[in-house]
Amino acid sequence: MTPNKLVFKNITRRRGRFIFTLLGIVIGMASFVTFMALGGSLKSEIERESAALGANLVVTPKGSCAYEQVSILTGEQLPTTITAEEVASIRAIEGIQAIPYLAERSAIDSRPVSVMGILPAETKEFKGWQITAGAYFPTENADGAVLGSVLAEQFKLLPGSEVRIRGTMIPVLGVLEETGGKDDLTVFLSMPVAQQLYKQQDRVSYVAVRVDKIEEVDLYALKIKDQVSLGVVSDKQMLNSVLGIVGTVNMTLQLIAAVAILAAAFGIVNTMMTATYERKREIGILQAMGAARSTIFKLFMLESAIYGLLGGIGGALLGLAGSHFAAPYISQNAATSFVKGAQSSIDPLMLLGAVLFSTLVAIVSGLYPAWKAAKLSPVEAISYE
Amino acid sequence: MSNAIIKTQNLCKQYGSGATLVQALRGVDLEIERGSFTCIIGPSGHGKSTLMHLLGGLDQPSGGSVAIDGQEISSLSGKDLAALRACKIGFVFQFFNLLQSLTATENIEVALMLAGVPDALQQERARELLKLVGLSDKAGAKPGQLSGGQQQRVAIARALANDPPVLLMDEPTGNLDSAAEAEVMAVLEELNRGGKTLILVTHSNEIAARAGNLIRVRDGLIEQNPALDQQLKKIA
Repeated sequence: MTPNKLVFKNITRRRGRFIFTLLGIVIGMASFVTFMALGGSLKSEIERESAALGANLVVTPKGSCAYEQVSILTGEQLPTTITAEEVASIRAIEGIQAIPYLAERSAIDSRPVSVMGILPAETKEFKGWQITAGAYFPTENADGAVLGSVLAEQFKLLPGSEVRIRGTMIPVLGVLEETGGKDDLTVFLSMPVAQQLYKQQDRVSYVAVRVDKIEEVDLYALKIKDQVSLGVVSDKQMLNSVLGIVGTVNMTLQLIAAVAILAAAFGIVNTMMTATYERKREIGILQAMGAARSTIFKLFMLESAIYGLLGGIGGALLGLAGSHFAAPYISQNAATSFVKGAQSSIDPLMLLGAVLFSTLVAIVSGLYPAWKAAKLSPVEAISYE
Repeated sequence: MSNAIIKTQNLCKQYGSGATLVQALRGVDLEIERGSFTCIIGPSGHGKSTLMHLLGGLDQPSGGSVAIDGQEISSLSGKDLAALRACKIGFVFQFFNLLQSLTATENIEVALMLAGVPDALQQERARELLKLVGLSDKAGAKPGQLSGGQQQRVAIARALANDPPVLLMDEPTGNLDSAAEAEVMAVLEELNRGGKTLILVTHSNEIAARAGNLIRVRDGLIEQNPALDQQLKKIA
């Protein structure tokens, strides 16, 4: 017999209570791990999208706030208040490469997709795209669509087929090689075709700017502001503000999970208190056999720690499954749309941390019941009926 | 040199205070010889169990002293007192008090574990003890699968786990029928012949009559009553 074996025998004595208490901590930890995993994915996805944008500066409509900046990274629909003249003024500045985008939305088979109006040749070069099937836009105003690889596969769209955008059948010209970002889930149209379809003649959503000399990025931001009355934000500023928003959302979710864990912790306290009362006489017998108060304390602490350890492992596994299955369903709004297909960022250290955290919570929960058990006098415990 | 394994001097125990003060023991002096068989008898509520708890180091006296195997217990810390209980005293209770979720072997192993015996050595020792009490075939049985007499014999085996010199028993046959009582008493007397000191609290005159020593407790004091002792001897 070892303390571990004794505790295991005790803990499984009341199987129903054991399972329900364990379920409490498993569910609490699972929600925590799910939100942590999704939060981790969000952060890495945002950083990747920011890099994929390939811009040092982004020109946005005047008065844009962080929400629009999120939308730029996620491919959400944006106000189209930047005019062709303003685009031309920006593009006239020497030492920069400025690429305008018209960001719109449509639906294929009732599922929302991003539609992006682009300048075909420049954007291809800017982004370094490769074609994996079919052909790219032959001209700057070619009628047709080039699709992101994931989107093409999702909707079984091959070059030669047609896709309905805003009621118009558009022929699919080609499919881009996978980029790993939101471009994989986007329908690209040439700018004139997109502007016509969305009735946004001579208007774009934002302009991505790459400067030749990165050390002069602030200077160029000022130059652009001199030329046009629009918002200019650096990629770093944008990254920070987007991470700030998503971080807040994430923090809120984790707080909700923390409440679930707190409730589970009280479940452990309750179970252990009941065990203390139920086993009062047994505690006395153990004391008569030579168990010191510290031994009784340790046995009860070990029992609660086992709840935490098993609950943590169960919660981590369920949380992983949760984040895997939940991700596609919660990617329909701006703040969480980064998680599309981003389960790869699950960190084994985070899982280990979750198990340790759960064990720690259980140990803290077990302190009071274990103290109550240990402070029983042998005579009082033995005489208990 | 005295051969006393347990010795008390002016042993007092009181509970509560003020109007609720109860003097459970009021100055008990006794010596229990090593290897003796002593019965503590007396009416209910007169201090027998309190005396047993103090003699076994389960409780601390309010006054006076108790020495177990030469060691004064009132100066011991809780931890040292627990260690003393593990090695020097084996307890047997009226209601057996086996751990219900454990088998006979495991119940004995717990006592060994508490005394720090390594897991690997526990099983062999438990097997020896079950053989000693005639229950080798019940090693894997849980208390619920054993008769009262068998449960009490497992409890005796458990009390003997760490080979304590003293067995301290509170009504060990109080919950048994005559046949089971005879089985248990046979085991105890065999242990006594082997050198164990037995201290047994009982209400039963038949059992008291078999003891070499009688301690009669009345109103928290030791009562000398040679006439009653004579009567018991006649029963024996």
